[in-house]
Amino acid sequence: MKTLLLVFFLGLLSLAFAQDQPSDPKRLPVNDKKVPAGVEDMLAIEAALKSVLPAARNATVCLELGQGSGSGVIISADGLILTAAHVAGGVAKDITAILADGRKIKCESLGLNSETDSAMVKILGKGPFPFVEVDKSDRTRLGDWVFSLGHSGGYDKDRGAGVRLGRLVKVADSTSQSDCTLIGGDSGGPLFDMAGRLIGIHSRVGTNLQQNMHVPIREFVRHWDDLVAGKFIGEGPFAEKPKKGTGFLGVGTEDSGDGKIRVTKIGRESVAETAGLKVGDFIVAIDGKKLKDKEVMQKCLKDKAADEKITILLMREGKEKEITLRLGAR
Amino acid sequence: MTNMKKMIPTTLLMLAVCMISFTQGYETLESEYRSNGSLMHGLLERPKQSLSQFSAVIYSGRKEIAYGIVVEETGYVITKASEVTESSDLKLRIGATQYDPVQIVATDPAWDVCLLKTDATGLKVVHFADNGQVEQGTWVVTNGATTRRERWPQLGIISANAREIRAEGGAVLGIEIKEEKSGLEIGEIPEKSGAYRAGLRKGDKIIKIADQKITKRDDVAEIMKDRRVGEKITVVYLRKGKQVTAEVELMGRADTFGAQQTRNDTMSGDYSKRRSGFPRVLQHDVQGNRATVGGPLLDLEGRCIGMNIARANRAESFAIPVEELRDVISRLLTQAMKNKADATVAPR
Repeated sequence: MKTLLLVFFLGLLSLAFAQDQPSDPKRLPVNDKKVPAGVEDMLAIEAALKSVLPAARNATVCLELGQGSGSGVIISADGLILTAAHVAGGVAKDITAILADGRKIKCESLGLNSETDSAMVKILGKGPFPFVEVDKSDRTRLGDWVFSLGHSGGYDKDRGAGVRLGRLVKVADSTSQSDCTLIGGDSGGPLFDMAGRLIGIHSRVGTNLQQNMHVPIREFVRHWDDLVAGKFIGEGPFAEKPKKGTGFLGVGTEDSGDGKIRVTKIGRESVAETAGLKVGDFIVAIDGKKLKDKEVMQKCLKDKAADEKITILLMREGKEKEITLRLGAR
Repeated sequence: MTNMKKMIPTTLLMLAVCMISFTQGYETLESEYRSNGSLMHGLLERPKQSLSQFSAVIYSGRKEIAYGIVVEETGYVITKASEVTESSDLKLRIGATQYDPVQIVATDPAWDVCLLKTDATGLKVVHFADNGQVEQGTWVVTNGATTRRERWPQLGIISANAREIRAEGGAVLGIEIKEEKSGLEIGEIPEKSGAYRAGLRKGDKIIKIADQKITKRDDVAEIMKDRRVGEKITVVYLRKGKQVTAEVELMGRADTFGAQQTRNDTMSGDYSKRRSGFPRVLQHDVQGNRATVGGPLLDLEGRCIGMNIARANRAESFAIPVEELRDVISRLLTQAMKNKADATVAPR
């Protein structure tokens, strides 16, 4: 049975190869031997780690949202971040990134895959930001030396992101396991090869210290465009899909006859009030969709979930005005 | 008291503690090739030799409770104080030889290190590295498994900046203070607290702390702000109308009153009881448990760059850097000699 499964796996792997670019045959010298031959080989591993650690650490961020925190890693100068789906928590969420130097920057989550625990987040501030190279050619193999970074237990400036060294001890198509010990707060943090290239994102642990699981970068590569486009992929355990019909705007409206929807009431402490909607405004469109009457508007809102971001086009005193807000919960 | 240090939120977003994976085919690395497999340990000849020469295994009865470091050839060994002070039947083993009985002869509460003494001569003492300025990413070796004859190594790296670890919840006297009409009265006072050990009891009325008059609870909070574990503070109190002065040694709040387990604690196995309130530590990623602490932190040459002082959690372990460790050792030895001298001249 095991052999069968293994064959299945290897088949998948070679398929992935055929689809991707031809992989770089160049392997890192520290992985040439299955085990270091002596202290000299160990010192070569140490030297490799030390030479790439500062850059890797500079690109590792702490991600805060709600009352929790996880980690992530910046992979482009304009601030694209890879993290875990259970850290991003959903699509288009407000997140704060804390950079290695302590700077706090606003971010928004892009797409995620709830089945493999992968997600993207975008820094909203202006770059350039420190970033690392992603190993898109998938060079890492079982037994390779790897190191992990992450803001274990939350951001701590005096400590910095903790580094742990280990080997890839188990690999499957959509998960890898290393003996770099992870803990809460590391989730979404980076796993690197010994050249400092990003090869995985921390996802989960077992109670056993050996069970430290990462999402391999090939999983991100596979869904790259959808993740960038902000899609919610899959129905897995790592993120809950927003439920349609749970969103609440908090306005009372009436059809004013000439194809216009007039706001007649604003709910107290509703998101509409906070966002600055006023009695007498005319609602023209939501998310670019023209609304011809009240019924169409209600139908449109029924498709939205609590916390979902919408943009409303208004007519106020004869002038067009756009308001963006997050829907409240019904 | 109210000045709780900002706590790490218990709901850190986390690693789900579950194993959803590997339902499909996978490849596995044989255990001997893993970072702490037998083949890696086979490369650690020198550290292993050091461990067998100058690390000690501390037992309570037959149970291994900690490791230690031999600091004098005449049977002086240091270890983690909080792991051994509650045991009455201490024994230790160096190399293949067992030593019994073992006494605690001096203690440094700030660093949580104590000095043990047993009857021995000609022991090999710790071989220190020149300094503990070890860069992050440097290989380090600690005590791993142990048998009656052998000490096995455990491998890891330096994983974060050397720094102070402030006491969880701050350093405290260890008393609950009630604001009564008649003054500030002691409520709960745990027996292991510094205040209790200094003689204070429930119902005593506090007048002065650190030479400052206090009238309300906030005064105490203000005086206690930024204090360190192990610091000694004078407390003046009233008992049955009589004024008494005591010297109280501060402890960490979590160590005194206990702390709620966080989610990260539940995934950390057996971590050290005392794991905060250290003036400066090196951090490494060697895996272990609370009984693997107390021994030397070695470089690949087998030189001692520090002393393992706490297994903080699943991913973080702390060690006292060699510079500070040398000071701690010389203070403990001086204190032990003084205690011995005092005992000899004490009138009977």
